[in-house]
Amino acid sequence: MRFKRKGQASERESAVNLLFVRKHLLMIVGGAAGILVTLFVMNTLFDGSMEKMTGTTDWRNILLVNALVGACIFLFVVELKRQAIRVLLTVVVALLLGFLVTFVFNLDSAERFEQGEFRAQVVSDAEPTENDEVDLEYNKRRGGEFNKPNVVAPVSEIAWTFAGREGDIVSLLAYAKNRRSDVDLLVELRDSSGAVLATATAATEKQVDETFDDLVSTKDAVIEDFALPAAGIYTLYSRPEDIATGVVLSEALSQSQLAFEALLLGPIERVNRWGVWIQDAITLILLGMSFAIVFRAQQFSLGAEGQLYFGALVSGIIALNSPNIPGIILIPFIILASGTAGFIYGLIPGALKAYLGANELVSTLMLNVVATRFFEMVLNFQLKPPDAGYVASAKFTDNAVLPVIVDKTQVTVAVFLLVAVVLVSWLLIRRTPLGYEIRIIGSNLRFADYGGVNSKRTIMLVMAIGGIVAGLAGMHLANGIHRQLILNISFALAFEGVVVALLARLNVLVVPFTGLLYAYLRAGAQFMERDANVSFEVVRMIQAIIILLITAEALVTFFQARQKRADIDEEGHSLIVDPDAAAAPGGDNV
Amino acid sequence: MFENVIDGIFSALFVAAILRVTTPILLPSLGALISEKAGVLNIGLEGMMLSSAFTGVVVSAYAQDWFGFETGVAIGPWLGLALGVSVSVLLSFVLALFHLDLRGDLFLSGIALNILGSSATVAIMFELTGDRGNTSTLASLQMPFIQIPGCVKTETTTNIFEFLCGAFSNQNLMTWIAFIAVFIVAFVLYRTPFGMHLRAVGENPEAAASVGINVKRIRYYALMISGFFAGLGGIHIGMGYLQLFQRDMTNGRGFIALVTPSLGGGTPVGTMIASSTFGFFDALGLRIGSLEIPAQLPQSIPYFATVLALVIYALQRRISQRVTEMRTASGAAFDAAFWGSIQRISILHMLLMMIAVIGVVTSGSMLAAPNGFGGAETAVPAGLLIGVASIALFVIGLPFVRDIFSIQRKWAASALVTIVSLGIYLTLFLALFFEPLLALIIGLVLSALVWFMIGGRVLMRAE
Repeated sequence: MRFKRKGQASERESAVNLLFVRKHLLMIVGGAAGILVTLFVMNTLFDGSMEKMTGTTDWRNILLVNALVGACIFLFVVELKRQAIRVLLTVVVALLLGFLVTFVFNLDSAERFEQGEFRAQVVSDAEPTENDEVDLEYNKRRGGEFNKPNVVAPVSEIAWTFAGREGDIVSLLAYAKNRRSDVDLLVELRDSSGAVLATATAATEKQVDETFDDLVSTKDAVIEDFALPAAGIYTLYSRPEDIATGVVLSEALSQSQLAFEALLLGPIERVNRWGVWIQDAITLILLGMSFAIVFRAQQFSLGAEGQLYFGALVSGIIALNSPNIPGIILIPFIILASGTAGFIYGLIPGALKAYLGANELVSTLMLNVVATRFFEMVLNFQLKPPDAGYVASAKFTDNAVLPVIVDKTQVTVAVFLLVAVVLVSWLLIRRTPLGYEIRIIGSNLRFADYGGVNSKRTIMLVMAIGGIVAGLAGMHLANGIHRQLILNISFALAFEGVVVALLARLNVLVVPFTGLLYAYLRAGAQFMERDANVSFEVVRMIQAIIILLITAEALVTFFQARQKRADIDEEGHSLIVDPDAAAAPGGDNV
Repeated sequence: MFENVIDGIFSALFVAAILRVTTPILLPSLGALISEKAGVLNIGLEGMMLSSAFTGVVVSAYAQDWFGFETGVAIGPWLGLALGVSVSVLLSFVLALFHLDLRGDLFLSGIALNILGSSATVAIMFELTGDRGNTSTLASLQMPFIQIPGCVKTETTTNIFEFLCGAFSNQNLMTWIAFIAVFIVAFVLYRTPFGMHLRAVGENPEAAASVGINVKRIRYYALMISGFFAGLGGIHIGMGYLQLFQRDMTNGRGFIALVTPSLGGGTPVGTMIASSTFGFFDALGLRIGSLEIPAQLPQSIPYFATVLALVIYALQRRISQRVTEMRTASGAAFDAAFWGSIQRISILHMLLMMIAVIGVVTSGSMLAAPNGFGGAETAVPAGLLIGVASIALFVIGLPFVRDIFSIQRKWAASALVTIVSLGIYLTLFLALFFEPLLALIIGLVLSALVWFMIGGRVLMRAE
């Protein structure tokens, strides 16, 4: 539509041609991006070696799942069109802000050069002197810890005395206790009047490797072979070297880079890490799907968490009570049951909203807590084996666990279930009368009422349908990932589903991509915490920034060309709905 | 065992506990009230409370490093209060900026601030203390506790003076601030030009703008005032109720605060009463933890009660609308006393149904986790009995809640339902003090009296 406004195509014929090319261009771009990402992930996972890949068990399934990842990227580009750029930009901006936060948090990382356990020693071949008054004897180590955190009076410098005779050849050493300590020391030799005779801030490679066994790194300080000028009491003085501002900044920068490398490349380093990403993505996509469906009708229901707990509880109870039923029958039954549990728990706030006008935001938040407590209670008093040390159910028997399709990971047949869920949700929203009603209620409730839509029934149903998907997410957590019921099984995942749905602009075909993207960040955050000691919560801060940026419509007009303003005003919504569907609720845009 | 609980409930300590746990609900509730009055409900209260609690705790702890121990202990709490509340107000400013100027969705921006508050506090705590659970390694301070002169601490209360002392002395300063703030807010809302503008903006922004009120500026102020109150609430949690920061320590209070204004009829005093109701349930949950029932059941009561209260509020609003319509339609012929009593009776029916639903939930819990209630032999039959009885009471009460005209038409049935339901609940309660038979008689008589007093007599006379 844009080219018409620009007035580029006066002839109808060429307009159609241009449209044709543009549409296919989008497909080509999306397809290429999908294939490239698939290849990139496979390449990184197996270091680009074909033998390594074919030598891995289940490599075909890994390829299949990665092909699905590529397909998600294809859908993302094709469905969101220009909006895709904005979504990506938002994520990039949020990541940059996250990097800034990490940088600020890492400003203290240079402190490790100032604190840590150390040893000091005077090395000499000369005869040890007999003197009880002094602190050090030749060739005897003495240690301490500089600037120990959280103590009343931390040690910031030492001045230890030793007795020497004229002509003694001594070497003064101050060094970190072990390789874990990064303390960067200087050492000085002072005579009894306090005058500095020699000073050193570093050790050479040779000294570290050959001359002195005790040294750990070149940051340790050595005064080698100093001939004492006279007999008397000398002082070995040592403290951590002063840190220059430049070192502080560069240290913080390199630490943050390390952290973000772990965040951005960690999840595709090895197959087991890749599995963490994919299994997390499955749960997130299911939750995002649940929110996307409900938000589509402009219902701010946050009930997915409670529905998830009920889904997990029901599937767990069935799994624990049927050890002898073959998996082929049991698994489909568990899937059905967890979906039903979610449906019922979604129906309650739905009915309250539709027929009584009870605020769904508050009621779902409250019902979430009720569900969590109920889950805890049943788990604690009924499902926990009496001899268990912590609150968790028994491990499920194999027939009740979703079959794994990639060895060494927990990537299960839930992948296929997920594909089915995506397809069904898409059919529901875009191809059924109910979906039409959902969309029309989402764009204008009053109009829907005038148009003869039974909006009460639809609102109730849409919240219950969202519950089905959330219930399945609970089932996946219980029977796919944890294989038992544990406390806090959702770990506040549900709110992350909100981000996934919003990033996808409530488009069910885009949710898989945003779910993968967000799960990638979450998985990366785990490895970031493990490898670089940056808190996992930084990623949740990034999440908050993403929500703020993505909902702020005015930011778009600020950054983009003015002509777009017309499109945005057409949307006219508080909640982001993809513009095609919102402007023409009945229109097919696929 | 039950006696202990009953003794515990009718004690000064319990009243003191209610005041203590009401404070962190009441303060953000006032914030929610003001923002709601201006038509911009502040969803981000939870995140603002967390950030203010965290800032207050950390600042009060570090003040001792910055200013030396003596000075630090003296000014630490106040510095923590000032900075904590500032951070909260700053966050609400961000929310206002994103909603009012950048046209972001209020609901989602609020959620984002909640996530930000929850995550940033944990991340910074991890940086400062190396712990991601709580700040127990920091020597943080508390806001002062106010002693009423002349009060001495006693184990048991024998007279009214000691009772008042036990209830009100040694309360945190923030508790006093919270309850005093109720009246300040009421004054500002109803007696000042600013309050009038604020209410006008909330009720009809276009009309307010047409008479020259700057809608956006008023909304900025409203959101920032709500942030201010959320900040005070956070300070109480971190520096009064407890003396440390725990991750996500507000525990949903910011969300409860979103409901209390509507439950309280949109007035400051009503909000206070609604908040105190939550405080009561909270304190009760702590108290009956001494019984042999799973702690999770009383813990979930406040949340469950919120949902029920929402339903009742929605129903009640519908009924009032109905009555108002009738008043407009019938004009002078409208019998205000008659319909007023019908409304009161309908509220009674709703409350009774609320108890019935709690009964259903209890029975569900007993059936789902009988081991928590003393084993399957006793819990399953008891659970079944409670469940069946609750459902029966729910079903017989339903017609009177769905349609208030049925109260008018079938007043005898309404009376009977009330007497049976209320009678059963009262009997169960009175059985703790009296012989069962006596309790039954007193219960039935009392419930009949209640029905008669709140409106039954008008109904009977009209007949």
